[in-house]
Amino acid sequence: MKRFQMTAVFIFSLVVIVFAGCQKKAETIKVGVAGPMTGDQAKMGTDFKNGVTLAVEEWNSKGGVLGKKLDIVIADDQHDPKQAVATANKLVNEGVIGVIGHFNSNCSIPASDVYSRAGIPMITPGTTNPQLTEKGYRGVFRVCGRDDQQGRVAAEFVTDKLRLRRIAIIHDKTTYGQGLADEFKNFVADKAEVVYYGGIIQGDKDFKTVLTAIREKKPELIYFGGIYPEAGLLVKQARELGMTVPFMSGDGTIDPKFVEIAGAGAAEGTYLTFGPDPKNIPQAKTFIENYSRRFGEIGPYSIYAYDAANILFTAIKESNSTDGKAIMEKLHSSEFPGAMGNIRFDEKGDVTVSPFVVWITRDGKFVEYWRPGK
Amino acid sequence: MLFQQIINGLTVGGVYALIALGYTMVYGILELINFAHGEIYMLGAYLGIILFGFFTSVGLTSHSLALSFALTIALSVLFCSAYGFTVERIAYKPLRNAPRLSPLISAIGVSIFLQNYVMLTQGATDKVFPDLLGSAGFDLLGARITYLQVLIIGVSFLLMLALHLYVTKTRMGKAMRAVAQDKVMASLVGINVDSVISVTFIIGSGLAAVAGIMVAMYYGLVNYFIGYIAGIKAFTAAVLGGIGSIPGAMFGGIFLGLIESLGASYISSEYKDAYAFAVLIVILLIRPAGIFGKSTEEKV
Repeated sequence: MKRFQMTAVFIFSLVVIVFAGCQKKAETIKVGVAGPMTGDQAKMGTDFKNGVTLAVEEWNSKGGVLGKKLDIVIADDQHDPKQAVATANKLVNEGVIGVIGHFNSNCSIPASDVYSRAGIPMITPGTTNPQLTEKGYRGVFRVCGRDDQQGRVAAEFVTDKLRLRRIAIIHDKTTYGQGLADEFKNFVADKAEVVYYGGIIQGDKDFKTVLTAIREKKPELIYFGGIYPEAGLLVKQARELGMTVPFMSGDGTIDPKFVEIAGAGAAEGTYLTFGPDPKNIPQAKTFIENYSRRFGEIGPYSIYAYDAANILFTAIKESNSTDGKAIMEKLHSSEFPGAMGNIRFDEKGDVTVSPFVVWITRDGKFVEYWRPGK
Repeated sequence: MLFQQIINGLTVGGVYALIALGYTMVYGILELINFAHGEIYMLGAYLGIILFGFFTSVGLTSHSLALSFALTIALSVLFCSAYGFTVERIAYKPLRNAPRLSPLISAIGVSIFLQNYVMLTQGATDKVFPDLLGSAGFDLLGARITYLQVLIIGVSFLLMLALHLYVTKTRMGKAMRAVAQDKVMASLVGINVDSVISVTFIIGSGLAAVAGIMVAMYYGLVNYFIGYIAGIKAFTAAVLGGIGSIPGAMFGGIFLGLIESLGASYISSEYKDAYAFAVLIVILLIRPAGIFGKSTEEKV
């Protein structure tokens, strides 16, 4: 009896596998969307997913690309480098033509090895660490800026606009956080004194000890390289310790959760660097309307994901091919219209125009505040 | 700066101590490391957010902050105690006479189950506890102390004192100590071992629930995996103080909090987690049973 059951289960599984294998064959063009879809940074992954979904729906309603419908394969890297490599391999095995992702630098960089080996182009909407495009891969692109650009804008703001001279720098020891903090440190050190430089542990909740040590150094500004959960806690706990100095961070902080965690009072007046506000860009109007109608409020990376997807689809269409190499060459050689404005990639795969501006938190909302070079 | 760091350390240490008590009490009686204990703490934190949100929505919070706070703690302690009791009945009691590894694995199973259960029902993203007291506080000896820190330090010390009195002065406390010494002998003199074990789990879970709510208020941020790292830290505290010893867990928790705080400020904050474990290794080398632990004959 037992043997019969086992045999039945075995045959059943075989049938399932065979059916799964037969499911839709090459009827669609698959694109991967990779990012942290679950966990504490799930918001960023969801922005990616929604932005790409909107682009796919618009293309599909016009008949798709090369006569085929587009299809999204979602990959959750849980902002874990090991998981990122695993999901990258999974996307490659699923036969995606290109990938929009990942978000975290320590995920994008190892994943870019996998995609490049498979000859698949990847466009990240959010990874700003310079290393990503310094590896010489032909198929790696980003529609956002780089941390060396970001660090320079932040440093210029702190030393020239705010005219502050004593700076404390904290980072979260991740590729992104420490990378950004280092870039900022390099640029700011010309004109100001770095009175504290140190790391914290990502996922930790108690930063009062490190902040107490920083308070002793009497800094005029605290700069943090990292993501919003730690940034929110840092601001909250700094204010609890009676520190009222300005706080500044990078693009990893631009999320409503930052204000929620810090508390609206503590977050008031904090600065961060990010791309320009889409609300101030005329071309972005249609995107904002469509996106809000479909998914509600627009997230910080929604528009980057949307542009990245549109650029990829345009490149597939214009190269008239689903071959990775042809798409990559197209991506390198053309200029693409996007909701953020026209985008052109340089030889490394970076955007040719540095997009960073300084934002400020006012009444619990992020507002564009200062543009460099003025 | 030293005084500020001591206050910071005491706040965190008090919380560690409350959780460590649950580990040490269960270990003292069952010789079981209850890996699900950190999850009970996490449930307490979640319940704090949910209940407090509920009281705010019905308008009780604006009516009386103290009352809604007390109700939140009371209900969440009740709920978590019920959880502790149930977990023991379902996952540990049937394995009471099984080899020692079986309940340990069962405990890990419960821990994984509870984490995923909370993730599925409450979502994988961070939950934010409403900011009640803001950054209100006072200055003392050059340190900035918030009212919340005073509350956390006060509540944890009061609870530890209450537990100490309960274990040393009441009949049930005496029964607990008897069961911890020898289960068979205790049952021969008429102690209901099962109910003593249940009470141990109920008290331990209640303390963890209070710790959970206080942490949720202090950091304002809760997610489904906070129980893991807090559990590991509290377990370290329990081992440091001598696992099985109640004063040991109290001391271990506070000691750990202070070490982390002072290490992070005077050496480097990058290796905050490492100091606690480095000290643990040193102490175990000198006193293998922990600071307050009695070295006993091997029972196995």
